[in-house]
Amino acid sequence: MKIKNMLFLNLLLVLAVMFAFTPPVSAAGKVYKIGMSLAITGPTSDAGNPYSKGVEDYFKFVNETKMLGDDKIDCMIRDDQYKTDITKRNFEDFLDQGIVLYLNYSTGSTLGLKRDFEEEQIPVLPASYHAGNLDNSNYIFLPVASYSEQLVALSEYVVNHHKGDKPKVAMFIHPSAFGRGPVADAKKAVAKGLNMDIVEVVEHGKDLDNSAMLKRLLSKGVQYVLCHTVQSPVATMLKDSARLGLTAKTYGEPGKLTFLGVHYTGGNDLIALAGKACEGYVWSCSFNLTSEKNEGTTKQLALAKRYHRDSKAANSHNYAAGIMVAQVTTEVIKRAKAKGLKITKKTLYDELNAMHGANAYQPYTTIGPVTYSKTDHAGVDMLQIYTVKNGVFRKVGNPIQSFYMKKIK
Amino acid sequence: MSANSWLATGNFHTDYKQEQKIFFTSLDRTVFTFFLLILFSWPMLFSLSNKGMLLVDNILIAIVAVMGLNLVTGFAGLISIGHAAFVGIGAYTIASFSQVIGDSHFVITHCWPVLIIISGLVGAVFGAIVGLPALRLKHLYLAIATLSFQMIFEWTIQFMTFFNQGQTIFVGRVYWFTGKVLRKEHYLFWYYVIMVVVILLGFAVKNLLKTRYGRALVAVRDNDRAADAMGMNPGLTKVYAFALSGFFAGVAGALHAYLYRGVGFESFTLHESISYLAMAIVGGLGVLNGSFWGPVAIKYLELQVEHLAEIAGNFLPSSMNLATALKPLTFGLVIVLFLMFEPRGIANWWRIAKSYTKLWPFRY
Repeated sequence: MKIKNMLFLNLLLVLAVMFAFTPPVSAAGKVYKIGMSLAITGPTSDAGNPYSKGVEDYFKFVNETKMLGDDKIDCMIRDDQYKTDITKRNFEDFLDQGIVLYLNYSTGSTLGLKRDFEEEQIPVLPASYHAGNLDNSNYIFLPVASYSEQLVALSEYVVNHHKGDKPKVAMFIHPSAFGRGPVADAKKAVAKGLNMDIVEVVEHGKDLDNSAMLKRLLSKGVQYVLCHTVQSPVATMLKDSARLGLTAKTYGEPGKLTFLGVHYTGGNDLIALAGKACEGYVWSCSFNLTSEKNEGTTKQLALAKRYHRDSKAANSHNYAAGIMVAQVTTEVIKRAKAKGLKITKKTLYDELNAMHGANAYQPYTTIGPVTYSKTDHAGVDMLQIYTVKNGVFRKVGNPIQSFYMKKIK
Repeated sequence: MSANSWLATGNFHTDYKQEQKIFFTSLDRTVFTFFLLILFSWPMLFSLSNKGMLLVDNILIAIVAVMGLNLVTGFAGLISIGHAAFVGIGAYTIASFSQVIGDSHFVITHCWPVLIIISGLVGAVFGAIVGLPALRLKHLYLAIATLSFQMIFEWTIQFMTFFNQGQTIFVGRVYWFTGKVLRKEHYLFWYYVIMVVVILLGFAVKNLLKTRYGRALVAVRDNDRAADAMGMNPGLTKVYAFALSGFFAGVAGALHAYLYRGVGFESFTLHESISYLAMAIVGGLGVLNGSFWGPVAIKYLELQVEHLAEIAGNFLPSSMNLATALKPLTFGLVIVLFLMFEPRGIANWWRIAKSYTKLWPFRY
């Protein structure tokens, strides 16, 4: 009896030891570290906040649904308050922790850390679509068409849909390199034959009233105002224009102003800020909008619901943009894994460069496929034109692509 | 019988020369030497991550800048709300060299100690120019003059293509006797460089305050008419205070440029000027060690509020953006609380602690 007891105890002890030293099932998988620094608070956090939620939710979804098998993605998200110094600190922290891919946010910090990205040879997907990010850079991949491409495409849209002589256009831009860069490209397109007159380029300040500016533009014969800035100055301008009765009732109405804008000028935040004054506003964006129901937007809303996001975040195109970069990241990891490659900065970089032709990737958040190659680091080349109708953004025609951008590149 | 040189008790100054000594007792000197040894040796004993080292370097640069601000505001009593612009002048001096001769030119990568001094001198020149209104203006009016310099600086940088319209201008990696300073040792290398700068400038301020030039600053602050009557030139003293402050700020800016390997406009905005002022107030105006306490306290607070705001940003409703408000709210609150309850700053706590131990072993 005593021996039996001893045997039983020994067996229990062996089992206990075996159990203690057997790694849990989940630990068998690998963990791939990704870093993201963005403005959760501070300037532009209205865009950064839903963007970060999009990234967070999609990676959670990937891990929970075992999209990468037992492997997991650990995405560290840090607030940088839109400051390059803090972004740099966050980036150093991520590097210390061994990230294999980096998600950045602002134009300033992307340009500021470009050298570091080159030195570290780490692939980077920023939320800034500034064309200058790609100059002298091998490791930055723009998720969608650059601001320049969007502004030139919008200019082409104006030219193609204008009735009468050469359209007269004014540019309303952010007073920074972010705002100015695309204007230079639009001017290049005009020099290359794009049939429009850029009558004035207005760098807005923190104006609370744009009446004088709008009347001046009208007196110069301006019919179209192309905006490349953020939503709030556009909303102020649209409200002033509506109040003065200067806004075109129909697209391109003679003697009135038709307003158009690039990515960060539009979205639901603009509608919330400008209200009825933004009716007819024309906006270019490479993302599907939840106001136009389709399979992609249904999945987006389901993801938001799964993680209890409020309706503002769920319907934001910035939430979609966050999901999109997380989707691309997951996809390159998946592809590298399928090839039996070790997940490193280099393999992910190679996979991104190979994402074209038959390997092009179609995320559910964008209106076209993501394509990258050694010579093309702009992801989604297509742009959808949207316009505000009865308080929501509605699709106008099929996706477009800039013709002149290829000429001036 | 001479008193014990290790204790302050029983030691009295018998001439002015003795009063000008930096260390009054052997204990002071030993403690300071030991403290320096710790400052120079701890990175070898405990390896800190690059992020951690960057934070420490940042605090040290802020100390250099705040020492300058303390000279003009604390010692000379002249309010400057444009200090970040002076720091920016130093940084953009390096950036200008980078733009003209290339960011990896020998001068930038090898002659960096000279460039740091040149940046300080350029800062001093701008400081003197901005200080000119001090000949006529006082108090709030002078503060507005310095504020306008901040605005002019921001506008110039943001619009001039030479300065890349505020976007980052790169600065190449520097060389040391051991070769190129690579990322692995970058932050540690700059820790030692900045530490040496802090010590040298700290001693410079300490000595300055024992000279007639330093005493003139304090005299002009306390009563410029009385100072004038005593034969000092209050106008010149004010301009020279601004120039000195500009030198310190210029050096801090150059260090910032080299540490971050680039210069971008957003590190030198009005917000940064207010932060420097907050550091000076919280640390203690008119006391050298206040320039050390302030940056440490504010940078630490900044870091904690950043964490808090980040966490709050995930929970608070995004439509209200309350998380963004946390930082300015905390900053404002800390400054108001210090002004109300401890206007002499953290330096006063240090003074109380020191005077208590000074009397040891006697309580009274």
